[in-house]
Amino acid sequence: MGEEPRIGVFICHCGVNIGGVVNVPEVVKYVKTLPNVAHSEDNIYTCSEAGLASIKEAIKKHSLNKVIVASCTPRTHEPLFRSACREAGLNHYLFEMANIREQCSWVHAHQPERATKKARDIVRMAVARARWLNPQEEPELEIKDTALVIGGGIAGMTTALTLADQGFKVYLVEKEPQLGGNLLRLHKLYPTMQDTIEILEPTIKAVSQNKNIETLTSTTVSEVKGYVGNFKVALAKNEEKREIEVGTIIVACGAMNYTPPKGLYQYGVYSNIVTQLEMDELLRNGKIEKPPERVVMIQCVGARKGEIRALDLAGFPKSDTARLLAKILKAKKEEGWPYCSKICCMNAIKNSILIKERFPQTDVIILYGDVRVYKEYEDFYSMARENQVKFVKHIEEVTPEIIQGPEGKLTVTAYDALSGREMTLPCDWVVLSTPLIPHKEEVILARMLKIPISPDGFLMEAHLKLRPVDTQMDGIFLAGVSSGPKDVPESIISAKAAAARAATLMANKKMRTEALTSVVDEEQCIGCGLCEEICTYGAHYLEEAKSHTIAALCRGCGACAAECPRRAITMQHFTDEQVLAQVKAALMEEP
Amino acid sequence: MEGARVEAEFEPVILAFCCNWCSYAGADLAGTSRFEYPTNVRIIRVMCSGRIDPTFVLSAFRWGADGVLITGCHPGDCHYVQGNYMMERRFAFLKEALGHLGIEPERLRLEWISAGEGEKFAALIRDTTQRIKQLGPNPLRAV
Amino acid sequence: MEEKAVLVVGGGISGIQASLDLASRGYKVYLVEKSPSIGGRMAQLDKTFPTMDCSMCILAPKMIDCSHHPNVQLLTYSEVKGVKGSAGNFVVTVLRKPRFVDETKCTGCGICADHCPVEVPNEFDEQLGMRKAIYMPFPQAVPRAMTVDKVNCIECGLCQKMCQAGAVDLKQQPQEVELDVGAIILSIGFDLFDPSQIPTYGYGRYRNVITALELERLLCASGPTGGHLIRPSDGRIPRKIAFVQCVGSRDRRLGTTYCSSICCKYSVKDAVLIKEHEPNTTVSIFYIDLRAFGKGFQVFVNRAKSEYGVRFIRSSPGEIMENPLTKDLTVWYEDTVAGRIENVTFDLVVLCPALLPRTDARELAKVFGIEVDDYGFFKASNVLTNPVDTTVSGIFACGYCLGPKTGDIPDSIMQGSATAARVAEVLERV
Repeated sequence: MGEEPRIGVFICHCGVNIGGVVNVPEVVKYVKTLPNVAHSEDNIYTCSEAGLASIKEAIKKHSLNKVIVASCTPRTHEPLFRSACREAGLNHYLFEMANIREQCSWVHAHQPERATKKARDIVRMAVARARWLNPQEEPELEIKDTALVIGGGIAGMTTALTLADQGFKVYLVEKEPQLGGNLLRLHKLYPTMQDTIEILEPTIKAVSQNKNIETLTSTTVSEVKGYVGNFKVALAKNEEKREIEVGTIIVACGAMNYTPPKGLYQYGVYSNIVTQLEMDELLRNGKIEKPPERVVMIQCVGARKGEIRALDLAGFPKSDTARLLAKILKAKKEEGWPYCSKICCMNAIKNSILIKERFPQTDVIILYGDVRVYKEYEDFYSMARENQVKFVKHIEEVTPEIIQGPEGKLTVTAYDALSGREMTLPCDWVVLSTPLIPHKEEVILARMLKIPISPDGFLMEAHLKLRPVDTQMDGIFLAGVSSGPKDVPESIISAKAAAARAATLMANKKMRTEALTSVVDEEQCIGCGLCEEICTYGAHYLEEAKSHTIAALCRGCGACAAECPRRAITMQHFTDEQVLAQVKAALMEEP
Repeated sequence: MEGARVEAEFEPVILAFCCNWCSYAGADLAGTSRFEYPTNVRIIRVMCSGRIDPTFVLSAFRWGADGVLITGCHPGDCHYVQGNYMMERRFAFLKEALGHLGIEPERLRLEWISAGEGEKFAALIRDTTQRIKQLGPNPLRAV
Repeated sequence: MEEKAVLVVGGGISGIQASLDLASRGYKVYLVEKSPSIGGRMAQLDKTFPTMDCSMCILAPKMIDCSHHPNVQLLTYSEVKGVKGSAGNFVVTVLRKPRFVDETKCTGCGICADHCPVEVPNEFDEQLGMRKAIYMPFPQAVPRAMTVDKVNCIECGLCQKMCQAGAVDLKQQPQEVELDVGAIILSIGFDLFDPSQIPTYGYGRYRNVITALELERLLCASGPTGGHLIRPSDGRIPRKIAFVQCVGSRDRRLGTTYCSSICCKYSVKDAVLIKEHEPNTTVSIFYIDLRAFGKGFQVFVNRAKSEYGVRFIRSSPGEIMENPLTKDLTVWYEDTVAGRIENVTFDLVVLCPALLPRTDARELAKVFGIEVDDYGFFKASNVLTNPVDTTVSGIFACGYCLGPKTGDIPDSIMQGSATAARVAEVLERV
């Protein structure tokens, strides 16, 4: 290992996030007693300019050769602290983080003494690991300047065009025989009330005319191998197979409109109960001949469900209705998706305006929980009310009952949230607003690309706030509704953002990758071939009865090191010594 | 034995191995969501549950851990495709080995946690802490 | 013609993201910011919804990236005065206001501020806290340098005497610089509606009626009270807090008919924050429609109700009256369920005001020759297909200055990246 470790430990208060629970000065004092700790201090925000300056200064002043920052999760700030170390002349693999926020102060907020003891243990473990850290050289990866866009809807096409216009070659893969995605089924777009075709046609034309875009319809992705800069993607079109090599992948696989199961709100039982999408098609195709007397729309069908929400019945007048309600509430629980799909309120309003334009005498009633119309769309909502569209807040916890009478006339029974009274609404059509939900192709792609899925079922971004179009996998980005419901302008913005992120990678042509690779000790190796057999990436090969690693293919999982019967394989930066040191330090006080 | 050990005072030390891509992120999510759990767990990050060498687990018990929790990605979701399956195989062998060494096999636990399952992680820690408390201290500690 | 420089006006999160995306591509970026530090509104927040990340924690690394990136040149405490030319070839005149401190020498140690005899309200803390006439707006400011507020400075010269680095220069002059850029990105953000325009709510007269941004500063650990939630009138911990939504929004009389998109979300976040700080305090939110859309949000609202016991009252309060002795506030509202007028007394009322275009937005629009929409936000050339392009080719906009949109941080970041993509499209085609 060379020289004696001189470890610097920086413990962050993170304002009160850590300091409000963990006694940081006590931890600093404790750390100073640990062997090989040459310096320890606390900072209010280690990630601030002042904190980083402190680190660099201390490295020089105390001749530190290892640095530990005890603060938040490495998943946010490790790159920042690593670059500070580099600036002070320290190889950044000699840097380690101790997570005393997400995995300590934030989960033990009411146990400050125990949290402080735990913080001491966590830092001691980091010090133990740090003793065994070695400098590493990061291999440089070439980034191909070709991108794969999965999905030819408005988002996928926008990303493709944005990249192609910057000179990158793009493969646009779409599973259907034509481009256009969900917008093909939509008649008009809010708030401009333009025909969807006005937006779609020029975009599809631009894509077909762009020399840098190769469009592959009726094609799916069957396998993805490789890594950022160098993905090998297997495509399939019926029986034909093709392999392409790309530098980046943008997932714009879209989402689908939830179709209620038969029987929910009598959908599929009576033919005049339709979804908003179906109503849109009926209006477009002129399938409603006779002006309806009344249309009732019901919001949040299959959305914001899946759990019973707290309802305050205290304000209701003491009546039979209230008592009946209380009984019903205990019994009913509608299946569905727990999130709000964001665009359904606007869709309902749009369709209500279209109905009123066609049939001004029709009474349109929208039963809602909250009218989630945001930004300038508020004006659209006002316009609907001016057109006599009625918005009625109903008690969402009680699924409205729908029965059909003579001549197909429907009757909707719901409860007015403001008065608690039962409403009986005879009508000709019931339109159900259903959410956008993830489809099964998205799940298949998630598995293939190793992207996690968020709790709501859509693809998960790297960080919900800070990195909304990146994913956990370098080189793979998300566009459009694949990451969650959005309207058209938002899909376009996310598509351009994903293109910007992909372009940054490809424009630089190279990037450095983690030095987490396996190294075989040829003296110990007995050439059993187990590592070659189990390596998913083909990173091991046997030559002259000894195993060798192809560093560029090694992803650093460490399975070979754990399986090797002779302990002949070392995982850089996650060696046996490093892990065992942490295990021991967790269980024993020094030394 | 040194004096009576009062059940209520026993605070187990539990080591948890978490994989970088799924369970460690899930543990972080439990933190950002502020789901609280007992302080008995010490987390060690590895890139993949497939990295966990049986000697890590056996050494942990040898040095006095009351429980060891191994977490990784759900089957089919492993960031490195099959690392978690390899861990699962080792787990079966380890359970048996522990039995032979006089350590209750229930002290070793394997669970799958995804990056989006913060609440599940917190619940897992609470449950594991409770179970290990009931088992009492690691029998090797007395040696 | 190979102009590879870009101007970004406004150093909030969307401007920062656009700058970093462009700088990583190899473009030179001039990031102009009117105030002494970049960071914008996000720097003023305590936590962000729904992840409850500490706002400064996730912002600071991006701010530092900007200051360290070799391709980014920060021009803080500066304003754009004139623009000539067209896409691919703009010439922009920027006025660098004198901060009377040499940025290259100042270490941010703060000794000067310790000795400065003048105290004035701190704009960053929404006037709730004080700062000196020589100051750093907040501890994590980038650039990390002090600024002299010449308006309030009494020119005693103490700061200059005490400065060990010789960084104070009270004779500094304003400087005009000319920048040659190929494209421009505007990201100047928003201002808050002034609730004193609604006299029935008592803002400005009653000490315990505050805005949500003032609340953020009170809750923030680096704020004027160190993160302790106290009532402005007497410093007591408030035990009954009310939030009032849509103050100045969705309001025909005052002209801001649009929905500001984020207030429902941040009020639920603040309610949860308050309950975490003070579990014994009750929090009630008066709302019209609870606009809690967006990823992870419905679940967050459910938790706020079931786990934290936040109360939601569907009503728009008519009047707020103050008890002159206790300074407590009585909120009068219509209970739409029971059908009668009710009142409840709170010890603190938080108003969620509409988010408006910045007061200098129209003037800036004139300087750049771009159009504004009916509300005064920068107008997109086509709200559906070109959402981040302004009405002038080569000039783009991102963030709240484009209007509410989804309005939250990820949205602003996506717009920032989208404008970077548009800039690259324009400049690469040349």
